[in-house]
Amino acid sequence: MKRKWMFTFILLIVGFMVAVQYNTVQQPEERDTRDLWAIRNELAKERKLHSELLTEVRELDKTIGKYNASEGASAGKALADTVHDLYGQAGMIDQTGAGIVIDVVPSEESIAFGTPLHEVSPELLTRFVNEVNRFKGIDMEIDGKRVTGLSAIRDINGETTVNGLAVSLPPFQIKILSADMESSEKLYNFLQSSSILDDFYLDDFVLEVGQPQSEVTINGRIDKFENHFLKELPKGG
Amino acid sequence: MWLPILGLILGVSLGFLSDIQIPQEYGNYLSIAVLAALDTLLGGIRAHLQRVYDDQVFITGFFFNILLAAGLAFLGVHLGVDLYLAAIFAFGVRLFQNLAVIRRVLLTKWSEYRKVSTTNTSK
Repeated sequence: MKRKWMFTFILLIVGFMVAVQYNTVQQPEERDTRDLWAIRNELAKERKLHSELLTEVRELDKTIGKYNASEGASAGKALADTVHDLYGQAGMIDQTGAGIVIDVVPSEESIAFGTPLHEVSPELLTRFVNEVNRFKGIDMEIDGKRVTGLSAIRDINGETTVNGLAVSLPPFQIKILSADMESSEKLYNFLQSSSILDDFYLDDFVLEVGQPQSEVTINGRIDKFENHFLKELPKGG
Repeated sequence: MWLPILGLILGVSLGFLSDIQIPQEYGNYLSIAVLAALDTLLGGIRAHLQRVYDDQVFITGFFFNILLAAGLAFLGVHLGVDLYLAAIFAFGVRLFQNLAVIRRVLLTKWSEYRKVSTTNTSK
């Protein structure tokens, strides 16, 4: 009997130790090392996301309202409008609006020294696009090639390409459309003080950022989307 | 038979419910202590089955092994030699040996029991 109690006691201790060890291994204590400002930053980020989502919801609500209002005959028109909007969002059609035009030209020093003219590298262009994409709601065109979320900027057989089309040697133009004049001003000021200008200068190029204009036109994408996943439903399905 | 299992369940649930966590740097000591405890436990079961069990040997062995293993690990850390590996090796080997002996004893008992029951039914 005594032996049984002893085994019970020992097993109790063993069980306890195993459980504690399991706890320790499974949940390594993760310390929150963020300070007040890091947390505030994160909060600000979430707030921004919240506001963006709200804007999106409002726009979708507007579309629903449009559908509801246009019962019957004009429903087709509402649908066509939506399709047109979606094409616009996807960058398939030409767009006109407030924006800035940037000229990419060889730097004066490189001309003076007679440095051979070379292409803007894909890395530099990607860096530029990333830098500009800090701003929401912009549409961009590089040397006549529309840059969308699906665009690839890469090197194909030694040529820098956007959407698979070669970018010409400088000078060429980059056009950026913003939602309104105010955003264009902001983008202009941002680019003026951005370190991207230095990055271009290191590669013997100068970015001449033009003043915001109220009417800039950019081309739509010419190539069609490749759609592998979405399929059309059968009629009445 | 059921009382020790109840103790084990009680110990495990106590450990989980109390949600105690020990610092990462002491995790090694606890793991080696668990190994030592398991080794002693299996040794005790083996001794019980072989009818050589002794209370004092069992209880002193349990605590002494745990302390020795943790102490060895501690010494190892301070000497810069992974001495806890030696303890893990020793306990690991003994664990398997004990398990093998327990299995054999149980097998012998079971075959004896079957022999008895078959002779009983044949009569």
